[in-house]
Amino acid sequence: MAREVISTGNELASKAAIDAGARFFGGYPITPSSEVMHVASDLLPKVGGKFIQMEDEIAGISVALGASMSGVKAYTATSGPGISLKSEQIGLGFIAEVPLVIINVMRGGPSTGLPTRVSQADIGQAQYPTHGDYASITLCAGSLAECYTQTVRAFNLAEKYMTPVFVLLDETIGHMHGKAILPDLEEVEKSIVNRAEFTGDPKDYKPYDAKMNEPAVLNPFFKGYRYHVTGLHHGVTGFPTEDAEQCEFNIERLVGKVNTVAAENDGLDDLPDYEEYMLDDAEVCLIAYGSIGLGAYEAVQKLRAEGIKAGMFRPITLWPSPAKKIKEIGERFKDKIFITELNMGQYSREIERIIKRNDFTTLLKANGRPIAPAEMVEKVKGMM
Amino acid sequence: MGFMTAPANTPVWVDEKRCKACDICVSVCPSGTLVMKPDPMSTLGAMVQVVRPEDCIGCNDCELSCPDFAIYVAQKSEFKFAKLTDAAKARAEAIKANNFREPGV
Amino acid sequence: MAFNYDEYLRVDKMPTLWCWGCGDGVILKSVVRAIEKVGWNMDDVCVVSGIGCSGRFSSYINCNTVHTTHGRTIAYATGIKLANPDKKVIVVAGDGDSLAIGGNHTIHGCRRNIDLNFILINNFIYGLTNSQISPTTPQGMWCVSAKNGNIDPTFNGCKLAEGAGASFVARESMIDPKKLEKVLVAGFQHKGFSFIEVLSNCHINLGRKNKMNNAMENLAWIDSITVSKRKYDEMSEEEQLNKLPTGVLRQVEQDEYCELYDRVIAAAQGGKKITQDDFVKKI
Repeated sequence: MAREVISTGNELASKAAIDAGARFFGGYPITPSSEVMHVASDLLPKVGGKFIQMEDEIAGISVALGASMSGVKAYTATSGPGISLKSEQIGLGFIAEVPLVIINVMRGGPSTGLPTRVSQADIGQAQYPTHGDYASITLCAGSLAECYTQTVRAFNLAEKYMTPVFVLLDETIGHMHGKAILPDLEEVEKSIVNRAEFTGDPKDYKPYDAKMNEPAVLNPFFKGYRYHVTGLHHGVTGFPTEDAEQCEFNIERLVGKVNTVAAENDGLDDLPDYEEYMLDDAEVCLIAYGSIGLGAYEAVQKLRAEGIKAGMFRPITLWPSPAKKIKEIGERFKDKIFITELNMGQYSREIERIIKRNDFTTLLKANGRPIAPAEMVEKVKGMM
Repeated sequence: MGFMTAPANTPVWVDEKRCKACDICVSVCPSGTLVMKPDPMSTLGAMVQVVRPEDCIGCNDCELSCPDFAIYVAQKSEFKFAKLTDAAKARAEAIKANNFREPGV
Repeated sequence: MAFNYDEYLRVDKMPTLWCWGCGDGVILKSVVRAIEKVGWNMDDVCVVSGIGCSGRFSSYINCNTVHTTHGRTIAYATGIKLANPDKKVIVVAGDGDSLAIGGNHTIHGCRRNIDLNFILINNFIYGLTNSQISPTTPQGMWCVSAKNGNIDPTFNGCKLAEGAGASFVARESMIDPKKLEKVLVAGFQHKGFSFIEVLSNCHINLGRKNKMNNAMENLAWIDSITVSKRKYDEMSEEEQLNKLPTGVLRQVEQDEYCELYDRVIAAAQGGKKITQDDFVKKI
């Protein structure tokens, strides 16, 4: 039976983590994400989990990576400046294939920016948070309920693909206080994915001996499977290597295990990577995500009331982008595409790359203020 | 305690595959038991040699000081180690003064 | 005496990549002997190392090992230990790793008193990257990033650890492996953060550029700048300026962090609440 709760986005994200099996949080306070940490501090010890506020952002993610690589599901939470600081460690998470959920409650940037105001300005950063080649998985919550469901999903994806996973919350959604309908706990527990484990003889165990486009199989520490984890390129036993063939295979597998798999299977898992609203007979397509999706939803209704056949496409998985669907939208709607986001076009760039057109209309804002449905309605009317 | 069994009648022996000829074991040997011998096929052109096993006093300094797990000393129950004589001490000094090589060779 | 080190090592990775005569190998040996003495099962041990020559320490020891990014060893190790409090975690980092880029984590590891066995291998230089100055390189020495002589004042790692509140602080060098082993055993057995600075030789980088051309000369220099704590305490301030005391410098009983967190779990699950009255230190 579904659960009806009154809560904030930040609280729901943290509760979801614990329901999904997280038993470790490491982090550092930063507006507007701190409440995720406060809830973790309160709820984790109740279930025997561990919480620690570290001395800085870098230690905040390092401690969580350490716990996760030892076998305990872990998460951290921060905002844009924190992701910038955590960059190098995120890279270690990618190359060593450590599952971790990183919640980013987005505020105005760059640098100290607008600490208490909303943005969607970390989209590009979420795709390439660190140096080198790897494949990012980034989910964007578009409602209070999604703060919960997408965080649960993030843990499952992290365990399946053996990688850090970003959950982006706009500040307005993180701090929004309202009603959410959540799936019931039994359903959540049934859906939980745990990382694969090798059960053979420790002598035969090769943690990174995955085939192309498959993730590594990393056993929990302290169970007799003694292996090496490193941020250097490594061979099948985890030991560092510079061998040209091995490194070529490593990088292809690191990128392919997410991107190729998602492309071949039309998505990362069985859950939707996007939402379509009234697109079936639409003549103009609004594209928005996160909190702006809520505004676009209302804008579609207002436009329809004025006789304009508007529809909305809302990406939920931002990276890897739902390219097949976006391409279809490009071909179907041509220049009747309206993209609106709280940054200077970070996802518009990706859409342009996919549909190979730049004649869409945008409504971009990066001054810490949201975009009202009325603003969208006016701009779309100008297109028709 | 996990110990290796020493080869018969051997106070100290070397795993030449691991030796990097750093001279440290010879520099700490008090009894002139060890020297570096020229070995053109080895690292730095030298290899440690147990030149006078009968002088080994079993102090274990060489085993403890070797960075490469290349030299081992038998247990007291496996070998009757010598006592340190003045002559052995003098030989050790001469070896150290001769760049850790056996003098006169 | 003919200890079976191979049981504790990844022998298929030997010989080590360290230079001939490098102290790191001796320290590895002492750590292995100390683990044996305290009776730990290698399935319960995790070794975390940083970046640099000392960072390769974790490659050679046969247990769960983690080679982290530069300076962050203690942060990763804290996660591993807090998530698995009954397991043993050894952390190995160099002077640059722990006193330069990782300084903050070193300070807070000492402060937090989580049961980690932290071994700071101080060879007074950045070795692997070829001779840049570290926070412990003496003033006046020549390095590639101080080609006209180093002017940077030095850090005393042990004083930093004491200042940050570490409950076990010790210093040894690998000139005397027997003493080193003893201090490692004491550190491993201590419940809380054990800060163990081990002075080591990098004759290839620091030594050769500063008139110490081989391992023995470099070690002789280390010998000349160290003195037992007992003798050090009897010296004048002038004499103390150029000596580093060795041995156990500080050892106190202090609440260990994982055990403190157990109290948090108990409180959260309806047990006794934690108040200031539970702590002797009120500030």
